[in-house]
Amino acid sequence: MSLSALNSYLPKPCAPPRPGGRPTRTKVFAQPPTLAILSDPHVLRLAETLEDSIAASSSSPPPPLQKLRDISSQSLLTTPWPSRKDEPFRFTDTSFIRNSEVHPVTLAPTQNLDVLSGLADSISPNIAIIDGYLVESLSNLSELPDGVFVGRLSDLNSKGLMEKVSKYVSNFQGDLFWSLNGVGAPDVVLVYVPEGCKVEKPLGLRFVSMNRSYKGSKSLPISNPRVLVLVEKGGDIGIVEEYVGGDGDDRCYWTNSVMEVVVGDGAKVSHSYIQTQSLGAAHVKWTSVSQGSKSVYELTEVSTGGKLSRHNVHVKQEGPDTVTELSSFHLSIGDQLQDLHSKLVLDHPRGFSRQLHKVIVAHSLGQAVFDGNVQVNRDAQQTDAGQLSRSLLLEPRATVNVKPNLQIIADDVKCSHGAAISDLEEDQLFYFEARGIDRSTARKALIFSFAAEVIEHFPDVTLQKKVENLIRTLLTPALPSGV
Amino acid sequence: MAMALFSPTFSFRISTSAPQRRRRRCFVQSSQATVAIEAPSSSTTDLLLQVKDLSAVIAESKQTILKGVNLTVRHGEVHAVMGKNGSGKSTFAKVLAGHPDYEVTGGSIMYKGLDLLEMEPEERAIAGLFMSFQSPVEIPGVSNIDFLNMAYNARRRKLGLPELGPIEFYGYVAPKLELVNMKTDFLNRNVNEGFSGGEKKRNEILQLAVLGAEFAILDEIDSGLDVDALQDVAKAVNGVLTSKNSVLMITHYLRLLEFIKPTYIHIMENGRIVKTGDISLAETLEREGYKAIS
Repeated sequence: MSLSALNSYLPKPCAPPRPGGRPTRTKVFAQPPTLAILSDPHVLRLAETLEDSIAASSSSPPPPLQKLRDISSQSLLTTPWPSRKDEPFRFTDTSFIRNSEVHPVTLAPTQNLDVLSGLADSISPNIAIIDGYLVESLSNLSELPDGVFVGRLSDLNSKGLMEKVSKYVSNFQGDLFWSLNGVGAPDVVLVYVPEGCKVEKPLGLRFVSMNRSYKGSKSLPISNPRVLVLVEKGGDIGIVEEYVGGDGDDRCYWTNSVMEVVVGDGAKVSHSYIQTQSLGAAHVKWTSVSQGSKSVYELTEVSTGGKLSRHNVHVKQEGPDTVTELSSFHLSIGDQLQDLHSKLVLDHPRGFSRQLHKVIVAHSLGQAVFDGNVQVNRDAQQTDAGQLSRSLLLEPRATVNVKPNLQIIADDVKCSHGAAISDLEEDQLFYFEARGIDRSTARKALIFSFAAEVIEHFPDVTLQKKVENLIRTLLTPALPSGV
Repeated sequence: MAMALFSPTFSFRISTSAPQRRRRRCFVQSSQATVAIEAPSSSTTDLLLQVKDLSAVIAESKQTILKGVNLTVRHGEVHAVMGKNGSGKSTFAKVLAGHPDYEVTGGSIMYKGLDLLEMEPEERAIAGLFMSFQSPVEIPGVSNIDFLNMAYNARRRKLGLPELGPIEFYGYVAPKLELVNMKTDFLNRNVNEGFSGGEKKRNEILQLAVLGAEFAILDEIDSGLDVDALQDVAKAVNGVLTSKNSVLMITHYLRLLEFIKPTYIHIMENGRIVKTGDISLAETLEREGYKAIS
């Protein structure tokens, strides 16, 4: 096929972006044909739609945000939609999103928001992010210590802080979905904790999707929430990220979320993440963490919603003596795919990490994927890294694909990994029976206790109880009969 | 249900006539006469457990382990079973409890007039049969107190008695901890998770004390215990013994028998009980080994 023939199929080229720092709206995607050959037209179309919707709604964005958009759109030029031939998506079928008519959400500020006033029951301080937009009227930030900033990047007045943020924005290159978020995020929600500051109460971030389409319609509204958590040296904060919107319905929407966490030297971030979105929704999330020396990052995750739920975790060690604890529990009770791809990159000595991943697939169409990568590079001597993945398959034809992988180059390390996929253990069931407890009660107790091991990691006890009740409710009707 | 009466010299029995759904085969066949020291008056009201000619195989491999075990236990008696490794002692205990790894191929077990082989493991437990495991399994995620509460309430439900909620149950259980010399924080730990050998065994006895039992089978309760822990366990067992309930202990050593005095001692060899005697049998065994007995 000649270049000129190709040319006729592609968007017409227009003038290249004007030089100078003025944040004018430029159409980055109508590029010279040579670059466009490497692009995926579907991706480009989607990116253009996102770009248009952002430009329509906001005024001039702050420099870090503009930088983010530029870098992301640049990378989208050469990033195709992932296929099953790409290793990171080998077991994850994204055709559900690919084949829908994805359209961005613009926030209608007053529509139906009173419905959400029930959010006030959640922990405080908290902020509400509706369809990717921070909504102050539903947030409660009264109890934060001095110096802590929680709000939109566009509302940030401090120049010094803005400069700091600029440094961190898009240091990291994720995948297509990361870049789509970079182009489509209306703003960045910044959570800033100054040096030595300990935030006593955990900060709640509630993500709600109001724009939803009905099952069967091909349309899929997309929202791109983006959060940056910047914790300075010695800071300490707990974050509770909740994605709600289940209500037992199966409305469709796509939440394409990114959270970047920068943990300064000696700082501690305890991150709780709960996803209970609708069973017809697509949930794609990136959590990119960078840890300074002697810092502590603890992630406890429970994911039960979404038709397609994919969580990418990337933790990069920037200094020695770090502590990283990742605990996750995924539950598939219907025709759902729960996917966790995690990557821990260690380049400094004496890092300590533990990862526990548990999955229950309780439906014959249910699927789960786990890819746990740990890279212990040459300078990461005396690393102590452990990883354990346990999956419980409760129905015939339930599927789980597990790929624990450790890449170890340093030679003075202690690393372990284990994966087990099974039904409940017969010995444990018999122990219950031998004490007079009948088999089906024993099964219920053991299945619940399988999940409880991860739920116990939540730092906040009320949160633990809430999640325990949720899991109990989800598991009860889902239990297979005739055991 | 008609009980078959037999005296040591006869070699056949009358089968029961009540039609029943048999989940396990229950043979009627002639048996060898066994030499047993039994109390002269063999009245059936005294009988707690009667095992006749029990044979069993490993369910998967069909390898025969029990080759005709005969045993009679009356209310208030303490029996000890000793024998070489591999003689089938633990298997016997597990078959009594109804472990799915084993399949009964012959004989019968009557417990309080009930056909034990027709009962599921949880039914046997609720009927008062308690087995303490040799290697108790860990159950992460289920706390000791929740587990005990579930088992206790299962029993109460069966007996038509009101169940206890968590707080009332705590009030019932806390004093029992002293029996096994354990602190209250023990109740919040997960069942057997991270327990030492001694703690696991004491946990078994705590369960016995909480749930109560008419017939307790203790499978090597003394293995892995130091002298102090052994005394605690023995004291607890003696504490639950009454004239109504009985114990069957499986052990290798005389030590345990010095604390829990047995009424009878049986030696098991090659899948059957080959000798029965009193404490002097155990003393001979300790001095001279199994060769002196067989």
